[in-house]
Order: sequence, then C-alpha cells, then structure tokens
Amino acid sequence: MAAAGGLRRAGWRLWWARRAVLRCQQYPPLRALQASAALRAASDEHKKEPWASSSQQHFESPPAGHQPEEKPQGPHHSYTGQGGQESEDYESEEQLQHRILTAALEFVPEHGWTAEAIAEGAKTLGLSVAAAGLFHSDGSELILHFVSECNTKLSELLKKEQKLVQLGEAEKKPIDEFLRDAVEARLRMLIPYIEKWPQALSVLLLPRNIPSSLNLLTSMIDDIWHYAGDQSTDFNWYTRRAVLTAIYNTTELVMMQDSSPGLEDTWRFLENRVADAMTMSNTATQVQSTGEAVVQGLMGAAVTIKNLAGLNQRR
Amino acid sequence: MAAAVAPAVRCSLLQRRPLRCGPGVRAVPGAGAALRPCSSRVAQDGINKPVIDRIIRVDHAGEYGANRIYAGQMAVLGRSSVGPVIQQMWNQEKNHLKKFNELMVAYRVRPTVLLPFWNVAGFVLGAGSALLGKKGAMACTVAVEESISEHYNNQIRTLIEEDPEKYKELLQVIKQFRDEEQEHHDIGLEHDAEATPAYSVLKTAIQLGCKAAIFLSERI
Repeated sequence: MAAAGGLRRAGWRLWWARRAVLRCQQYPPLRALQASAALRAASDEHKKEPWASSSQQHFESPPAGHQPEEKPQGPHHSYTGQGGQESEDYESEEQLQHRILTAALEFVPEHGWTAEAIAEGAKTLGLSVAAAGLFHSDGSELILHFVSECNTKLSELLKKEQKLVQLGEAEKKPIDEFLRDAVEARLRMLIPYIEKWPQALSVLLLPRNIPSSLNLLTSMIDDIWHYAGDQSTDFNWYTRRAVLTAIYNTTELVMMQDSSPGLEDTWRFLENRVADAMTMSNTATQVQSTGEAVVQGLMGAAVTIKNLAGLNQRR
Repeated sequence: MAAAVAPAVRCSLLQRRPLRCGPGVRAVPGAGAALRPCSSRVAQDGINKPVIDRIIRVDHAGEYGANRIYAGQMAVLGRSSVGPVIQQMWNQEKNHLKKFNELMVAYRVRPTVLLPFWNVAGFVLGAGSALLGKKGAMACTVAVEESISEHYNNQIRTLIEEDPEKYKELLQVIKQFRDEEQEHHDIGLEHDAEATPAYSVLKTAIQLGCKAAIFLSERI
C-alpha cells in the first residue's frame, strides 16, 4: 500500500513537471535561457519542496497562471535561506528582473506601462536599455509586478494592524470599517499611476494575463478576509470573497473616472457599497431564519393534522 | 400528543457561525519569514501546503456529508429503536466537523465548492437508506464508514511518507477519527446491516458514490 502511495505521488510530480514544461512553451517570446532557468527551477523545487511553486494558488488555476507572477517575485528570503548552490544564478536573474521592474515603476507616470519605462528603469541601474528585451513588449510583467508588490504591501499593513490589536494597542475595528479601510488602502496605492491605470487594466484583462491577474486578485481578497478574521468554512467562504471582489473592482472603475478633489466621490462610493454588502448579509440571515421558522411551523402543523387523523401511531 | 406536535428533528448543523473579528487564529509561528509577494498564505515553515489543503478540504467535506447523512437518517428513524444509536454516532460526527472547521481556518484552506451539493446529497442518501428500514440505514452507515476509514488510512500513509514529525497534530486527529469511524462501521454490522436485501449491491453503489465524492472534493 505504501508503495502505491509513493507511485501516486510520483505521478503527481510528473504531472506538475509537465505543467511546468507546458508553461514555458506557452511563452515563446521568452528567451531560451529564461525558459531553461524556469525549468531548472522547477526541477529544483521538485527536489526540495515539490509544491512550493503552487503554494499560493488557491484555485487549481491554469498552468499559465504562474509564470509571469513568479518572475516579479521579491527578494527570495525563503530561497536564499535554503542556500542551494545550483539555484544561485537563477536567483540572481530573478532578482535582477525584480530590480529592473521596481526601478521602472518610477517612469510609469511618464511613459506608461511600456518597454520605454523598463528601459529607463534599467538605465538608472546602470544597465543597457536592451534589458527591456527581457520582458514582454506589452508591459504585462511590469504591471503584474506592480500588482503583486501592492498586494505584499497591503498584507504587511494588515498584519501590522492585526499585531497592534493583538497587543491591545489598537481598537478592533468593526468589520465594515475594516473592509473599507483595507480596500481604500489598496486603491490608494494606485493613485500615483492613476493616469496610466486604465491601460494597465486592459493589459491585465488580456486572455494571456487573466490567470495570473485573477490569481493575484483572489489572493489579495483572501488576505483581506483573513485579516478581517473571517472564519467561514461553508459556502459563505465564496460569497464573502465574491462580494468583496465586486466591491473592489467597481470602486476601482469609479476611481479611474473620479475627478473630485481627493477622490472623495470614490471613497463615498466605497463606503456605500460596503454598507450595502452589510445590509445584504443581514437580510440574507433574516430571510434564512424566517424560512426556517416557516418550515418548522408547517412541519408542526402537518404532525398535528396527522395526530388528529389518528395516523401517527408509534411502532 | 405534546411530544408528537414538537417539531421534527432539527438540523442544527446549518447554523451560520457569526463572523468573528477576533485576533487571527492563524497558526503561524514564523511571522516575518518567507513572505511571498502575492500573498501571505505561506503557513508553517516547510509544510507541504497543497497536500495539507487537499487533505483538510476533503475531510471537511466528508464530515460535512456524514453529518447530513445522519441528519437524514434521524429525520426518518429518529423515534425508532435505533434512534439513540444513530444520534450517538451523529454527535461524534459533529465533533469531527467542528475539528475540521477549526483546522480549515488555521491552515487557511478553501472549502470545497460542492458543499451545497453534499448538503442535499447527504441528506437524501441518509433519508433514502433509512426509508429502506433500520437495516438499510445500517447498511448505508457500514458502506460509508468503511470508505471513510479506508480514505483516512490512505491519508495517514501519505502524511507518514511526507514527515510524521511535522504533521504530528494532524496525524493524531486523523487517527482518532479513523478509529471512531471504524467503530461506527462495527456498530452498523452489529445491527444486522448485512441482512438488508440486496446488501452487496447497495454497499457497492454507496461506496462508488463515496469514491467519486472524495475525488471531486479533493480537487474542486
């Protein structure tokens, strides 16, 4: 039996490895070196922690989901901590890309999410402008990098808040206030790039980028709910996340068209939507309990009628 | 008379738990360590997250379904002679579900999408088998519990292959639950499950259903 288990696991790994290969094939413009690096990384991961590469994927998301998001990864505490000899050059390439993209963000308001911004970013690092060739020309890596940086910042912020509450230094916020503040904090990170954000959204919605952008979005929403203290383990888990995703996305759209000073309209819109969601969940609870009471009443009536008719003899 | 008017068996299972905003129950020892850009979902160090996810998700779904099966049986046989036996097994299942709810929050595992379906399917299976009589209900219990304890055994093997030290807590929970499910299986046999008409057909069909349910709940 143990052998059978081993076989099954080996099968899984094989399958994952195949997915990794497929993933690379889906990105023909990537340089061969990059592809081989990714492959090597994949096999490394299979040696050490076979599932690490997918550990943030909540849904079994399609294979393409993860390649672009892997690249902009931050300083690899976990990997450098393990100190694998063979993964050293791979790390440095990842880190280089990360550095270039971070530097490029500065030029986004001027050049948009383009190769020019990346080239300018590379220049500030003393690199050739040709470094922009490392990335897709549509700037999707730059955008995904930005989104994942913002997500990290947000979850660090929320974690800090949670620690303060745990230490008793801050008041625990009511749930609606917490959600509003978290979404607002996240949206405020877009403000410096607001002019160019519509362009970014359209790139994120390209079919090729949807898996990774969706993955980033869902993990951000999940982080917010986690720090909000969500304990649901039933279907509520999904409804809560769906509702918050809708709030976030609509507010984002409102924000892009908002010309009021200090984006007041946006924040009012956000507050109203959160309040709506709270009303909705209260109503749902009420409807449910009313329904239960009605069913109980009907059952009781049915039993009474049965008894009156003398049909309810115990056996 | 008065007792008869009292509403039938209530299923207290579906009660929604209020949304608590308390300090996170997250079991993360290494706080600042290994924070990945796109989420902070990396739980304990070096834990094989996808494996744990699948295990907790499917077990949660299984205990949820088992609860619904017993609820269905109690709705039909609640006031018959086997009522107390079923109630006792159901109570144990409620504890199991509670434990997996806790684990699910602690490990940040997504519940399966199919929960509403298991809710209905479990109840229908329980009530349907109970309509075949007490023996039918017991045959259903035997079939389900046999699949579940076999499934738990498989998970124990997987976890031991992974690293018995790291997953000590989870292993202990699963082992205890496995033993209790095995007890239910034996209780079912003691109550003449095998005397049900078409016992082997019934059992095979239910076990096939369980296998399919396990397969689906692990994945979606």
